[in-house]
Amino acid sequence: MQESDPHVVARARDGDREAFRALVERHSRYIFGLAQRMTGNAEDAEDVVQETWLKAHRQLSRFEARADFRTWLHRICVNCSIDLIRARRHREDAHDPADLEEGPLSERGSESQPMPDRLAASAQVGARVQEALTRLTSLERAAFTLRHVEGMSIEEVGVKLGLKTSATKHSIFRAVRKMRAALAPYVGANL
Amino acid sequence: MNHLTEEELILNYYGEIDRADQPQIDDHLAGCDECRAASAELGRVLHLVETTPMLEARPGFERDVWARLEPQLEANTGGLVRRSAKREGGWRAWFAAPQWALASGVAALLVMAFVAGRFSGPAPVALAPAQAAVSPDRILHAAVGDHLDRSQMMLAELVNAGSDQPDVFAGEQSRAADLVSANRLFRQSAEQSGDAAIADILEDLERVLLEIANAPADVTSGERADLKSRIETEDLLFRVRVIASEMRQRTRTDREAGDRGKQRPPIS
Repeated sequence: MQESDPHVVARARDGDREAFRALVERHSRYIFGLAQRMTGNAEDAEDVVQETWLKAHRQLSRFEARADFRTWLHRICVNCSIDLIRARRHREDAHDPADLEEGPLSERGSESQPMPDRLAASAQVGARVQEALTRLTSLERAAFTLRHVEGMSIEEVGVKLGLKTSATKHSIFRAVRKMRAALAPYVGANL
Repeated sequence: MNHLTEEELILNYYGEIDRADQPQIDDHLAGCDECRAASAELGRVLHLVETTPMLEARPGFERDVWARLEPQLEANTGGLVRRSAKREGGWRAWFAAPQWALASGVAALLVMAFVAGRFSGPAPVALAPAQAAVSPDRILHAAVGDHLDRSQMMLAELVNAGSDQPDVFAGEQSRAADLVSANRLFRQSAEQSGDAAIADILEDLERVLLEIANAPADVTSGERADLKSRIETEDLLFRVRVIASEMRQRTRTDREAGDRGKQRPPIS
C-alpha cells in the first residue's frame, strides 16, 4: 500500500532524499500537465516542472503539514509558469507591450492546421483542443487558463499577470474567440 | 435591447457581468432564442476545453525529472543551482536559484553601473554607438520598474490570500527575502540621485519586505492579518503601483528619447 503524502512529506522535510524522490515520482506527471497547459509546449513545461520541484525543495520546511501537498505544489507550479511567461514577456517586449499579442508564440503552428476531415473522431478532439491552445499567444493562454481552468476572477488574473483589468479581459476575449473558431466544428456550432 | 455581444456572452459565462447589468442580460437571454443558442454553444466549446485531459508526459518522465533534479538538490540547499545545459539562455536565467538571486545580482550591477555613471564624470574614451545608446537612467528606470512590478505581485498575493492559506504566506516569504537586497540597492541609488519619491516608497517597501521575510515559521493568522492590514492602511500596494507605472512611463520616454541622452527630473 502506498504511503500517504503527509507521511512522505514529513520524511522529506527531515532530509530523507528517497522520500523527496517518491514525491517527485508521484506528482511530476500532474504538474507537467498543468505546466503544459499554462505554457503551451512540452519543453517549457518540463523546465517549469524542474523549477517547481527546486522551489518546493527550498520551501519544504515552510509547508504546513495540515495543508494538501498537491494543492501547494499546484500553486508553486502556477507561479513558476507565470514567472516564465512574464520573463518571456520582458524579453519579447523590447518595444511596445501591445506587440506581445502578436509575438512569436502566436505564430506557432499557424501553418499546420489540420482539416476537420482529417480529425477522425472524439479521440482527436483532445488533440484539436491542445492545438487550439498552442495557437494562443502566451498571454492569452495564461489569462485564459487562469480564468477558465484555475477559476480565478478576471481581476485576480490581471494582478497575477501584471495587466490592467481591461487588458486581461481582452486577452481572455481573444483566447475564447480563437478557441470557438477552432472547436466550433466539434460542438455543432454555426459560427 | 440589441443582441448580446460575444464579450457579454463570455463575461456572462464566467459570472463576471456587472451586478447592475445582470438582470438585463438574464431577461434578454430568456427572451432571445438566438442569444440563448449562442450562449449554449459557447458553453459547449468551453466545456470541451475543460473536460479535455491534460497532455500526458512521456513514459519514464518522472525518472528523467529526478535524474535532472537530484544533482541540483545539494546545491539548491546551499543556494547555488546549476542549470541544465540542455537548452541555454532565455527565460531560464530568471529561474537561477534562489529564484530572484540572479535578478537581484543583475539589478545590483545595473545600479552600480548607474551610480558609477552618475558620479564618475564623463568617460575618458568615447563609447561605441551601441553602448552610448543606452543611458544609465533608462537602465535604472527599467530595473526599478521591474523590481516594483515583482514586489507588487508579491504584496497582492499576500493581501488577496485568505487567512486560511498559510502556505501562501510561506511562499511569498521566500520571494520577499529575495527582493530585499535588490530593494536596498535601488533605495540607496535613488537617495544618492535625489529621486525622493522613489527613495521613500522603496524605504517603506523595504520595511515591509524585511518584516515578511523575517517572520517566524509559525506566524499566526492574527499576525498575518495585522501585516495585511498595515499594507492596506499605508496604501503601500497602491503607491507601489503608481511608481511602477511612472517607471514604465519613464522607460518608454527614455526609449523614445534614444540617443539624445535626455535627463528626466525626479518625481515630485
